[in-house]
Amino acid sequence: MPDAHLPTPREVDVRGPRFAAWLTSAVLAVVLLTGSGVLVAGQAAVFAVGALAGLRYAPYGVLFRVLVAPRLGPVREREPEAPLRFAQLVGLVFAVVAAAGYLSGAPLVGAVATGLALVAALLNAATGSCLGCELYLIVRRARPARTA
Amino acid sequence: MLGGALALTALAAWWQRRRDGAVRGADDARERTTTAVLEGLGVRPGEADLTVVQFSTAFCGPCRATRARLQQLQATRPGLAHLEVDAESHLDAVRELDVRRTPTLFYLDRAGTLLGRSSGAPRPDELAALVGAHVRPAGARDGRDV
Repeated sequence: MPDAHLPTPREVDVRGPRFAAWLTSAVLAVVLLTGSGVLVAGQAAVFAVGALAGLRYAPYGVLFRVLVAPRLGPVREREPEAPLRFAQLVGLVFAVVAAAGYLSGAPLVGAVATGLALVAALLNAATGSCLGCELYLIVRRARPARTA
Repeated sequence: MLGGALALTALAAWWQRRRDGAVRGADDARERTTTAVLEGLGVRPGEADLTVVQFSTAFCGPCRATRARLQQLQATRPGLAHLEVDAESHLDAVRELDVRRTPTLFYLDRAGTLLGRSSGAPRPDELAALVGAHVRPAGARDGRDV
C-alpha cells in the first residue's frame, strides 16, 4: 500500500465508508437478482478506484461528500484510510471474479462471488466491521515472511 | 441466492458479536509457552501490575480504538502497561500464539501469568473489570483498599 510508510496516515469521516458500504450492498443485491455481469463490472471499477487511487477519488465517497455529508452534522469521528483501501482491494478481487463468471457464461461462479462480496459489504454497512481486514493476517501468516 | 447471502450476513454478525472482545482463559499447557513467546518479544510483565500485549496490523480499524481505550485507562492506572506488537513483523510469534485476527490481546499479571486473551475490540466493561481487579488506582498505597 502506498500510504503505509507515511508518518500520519490519511483519515476519512467514518460515515463515508458506511454510506459506501450500503450503496455497494444495494448494487450487489441488484446484481444477484438480475445476474448482470455489466453491473458487477461497474462495481469492480468503483472498487478499483478506491483501492488504487485512494478513497478521496472513490465514486461513492465523492457522492457522500457532495450529496450526503452537507446534510449531516460536523465530522465527529475519523478513521485511517489504509484498512478501508485494503477492503476495497478485496472487494475488487471478488467483483472481478463475479464479472468474469457472469460475462463468460458461468453464472454460478458470478453468483457465488457476488454473494460473498455482498456478505462482506452488508456486514461492513451494518456493524462497521471489515471482513477483508480480518482475513489479512490469516493470509499473511500463511505465507513465509518477507524480508523488509 | 440473495436470501442465502442475507442469512449468512446475519450469522456472521451474530458470531462476531458473541466473540468480539470476549476474554478467554488460558489452558495450563499453553500458558507457559505464551508467556515465553511474549517475553521474547520484549514484554516485561514484572514491571507492571497488568501488562496488555496488543497484536495489530496496518489494515485494522479496531486496533486504533483499542489502543486509545488502553491509553485512556493508563492515565488513571499507572500500573497498567500496554505494548503493541506489529503482527506482520513478528509472524513467527503470530503462528506460535495462534493469533488469527487483529487486535488480539494478551493479559499478563506481574508474575508473568497469562490471565487470558481476547480478539476484536475489547468490551469496555470486561476490560475495566480486568484492570480494576489487577491494577491499583493511582495514588493508592500498598495494603490500602481504595
